[in-house]
Amino acid sequence: MIVTLAAVTLRGLLNRRRTLLLVLAGVLMVGVAALSRLAEGTDADALQFTARLLADFGLGVLLPLVAVIVGTATIGSELEDGTIIYLLAKPIPRLLIVAVKAVIAWLLVTLLGSPAFLVSGVIGTGGDADLGIAYAVAAAVGALEYTTVFLALSLLTSRALVIGLAYVVIWEGVVAGLFAGTRILSVRQHALAVADALAGDGAITAELSVGIGLAMAIGVAALAFALAVRRLQTVELRGDTA
Amino acid sequence: MSALTLASVSRWYGNVVAVNDVSFEVGPGITGLLGPNGAGKTTLLHMMAGFLAPSAGEVRLDDQPTWRHPAIYRQVGFVPEREAVYPFLTGRQFVLASARLQGIDDPAAATDRAIEMVDLRDASKRAIGGYSKGMRQRVKVAASLVHDPGVLILDEPFNGMDPRQRLHMMDLLRSMASEGRTILFSSHILEEVERLSDRVLVVVAGRLAASGDFRRIRRLMTDRPHRFTIRSSDDRALGRALLAHPAVEAVELRDNALSVRTGDYGALTRAIAVAAREANASLLELRPADESLESVFSYLVRR
Repeated sequence: MIVTLAAVTLRGLLNRRRTLLLVLAGVLMVGVAALSRLAEGTDADALQFTARLLADFGLGVLLPLVAVIVGTATIGSELEDGTIIYLLAKPIPRLLIVAVKAVIAWLLVTLLGSPAFLVSGVIGTGGDADLGIAYAVAAAVGALEYTTVFLALSLLTSRALVIGLAYVVIWEGVVAGLFAGTRILSVRQHALAVADALAGDGAITAELSVGIGLAMAIGVAALAFALAVRRLQTVELRGDTA
Repeated sequence: MSALTLASVSRWYGNVVAVNDVSFEVGPGITGLLGPNGAGKTTLLHMMAGFLAPSAGEVRLDDQPTWRHPAIYRQVGFVPEREAVYPFLTGRQFVLASARLQGIDDPAAATDRAIEMVDLRDASKRAIGGYSKGMRQRVKVAASLVHDPGVLILDEPFNGMDPRQRLHMMDLLRSMASEGRTILFSSHILEEVERLSDRVLVVVAGRLAASGDFRRIRRLMTDRPHRFTIRSSDDRALGRALLAHPAVEAVELRDNALSVRTGDYGALTRAIAVAAREANASLLELRPADESLESVFSYLVRR
């Protein structure tokens, strides 16, 4: 049952051209890292630039972009086209449906994101894997949080993609950058705390401790998951819109 | 043997009342849910299948409410009206996924059986994205009956099917009903319901206008006053001749045509040709003025 649910979810996501185009965003980051390496500069400069590239573009743009597109499509697209009825008309606990879909979405976002972080880190630093590994793991943590939040959002509104993108730009991009007090609620800062703890060479300076960052990431993901389950248990299919 | 029961069920969306204080029970056999488009049939079916919460009243399958009880789907198969089916799966993969999600013992054998039942074996290895409307309907039906449910709910199941497929589907539903299953299907086409179901529920504007034996309701429909519009080469003479016939209740001459009212549909249709000959008039046009389903249903509601 779980395998079938996972397979249908994964095929639905991979069938969307939009999802596959996200690979290009990762390739773009790897390309920028490679170009920066080709430019003249010291190893310290290269480490600094690569760390900023991974933190600002990677965790701030690439990861949330991939997560918002995959996360909102995982259940949202089925709600939109009405195919969700074929899952809801089965004797499957709604919790299991959300759990399987959330895990598949998380794995897909991680798979689309983390390798680009790893490769960019290795290329940008001239062969040192530490920074890349730290960011790849941080991306997996960020992916869990972002994906679950966007999945829950898609069950709350039919405009989840637009609202999710607005959230990424306004909250993660502007508000959390300007006001230090809001950073505890920034997914990017949670992931950055993990990268900082793992890299451990001063290349990254996170605003939050790894303990708080991880606790917030898991807490927010758990809350979003519970909200999504609750919402799927009470979602109504009218027939004209579903 | 399962029964669906609605007790004083209403459903509204904001200020719009889609279903208004409806009560009935559907037991084994085929029941047709008949009503014009927008009458509330889909809302009723979705409440019965547990996809919508009633705003008031209760919908039960045997002794269990249908809303928020996914366990009912072991007993219930549902065919939605919407065409959307996972386009990337083949017909067989879709039915097999349904069988597996139902958790039945031998999903592959059940899948083959269901595909055979809807006569879709030849196309079962093709992606659903390339299916015709009728094929999509059939694959939806196969997926809904793969777990051998005791209750089958179908929303406009004949939409998009060609006449041969309709007959095949009707035979399939009849044979399932003869095994003691409860089958409820909706339609806005009188003839579909007439051919398939013994029992009918007529819904108009969210209310249950009539329910019970189809023949009795059909009689109510045909015995009502009918109105015809007739144009001929000499409307005035034809009107005089028709008025002499006992089946004719009223004749009115307006807008260069005759408007004729009768209480006996059959007698009038036989009398028209005779009257035209007597009046030496050529018939140019003869059409029923109030044969739309909506007018039939409105008449039932007034009764």
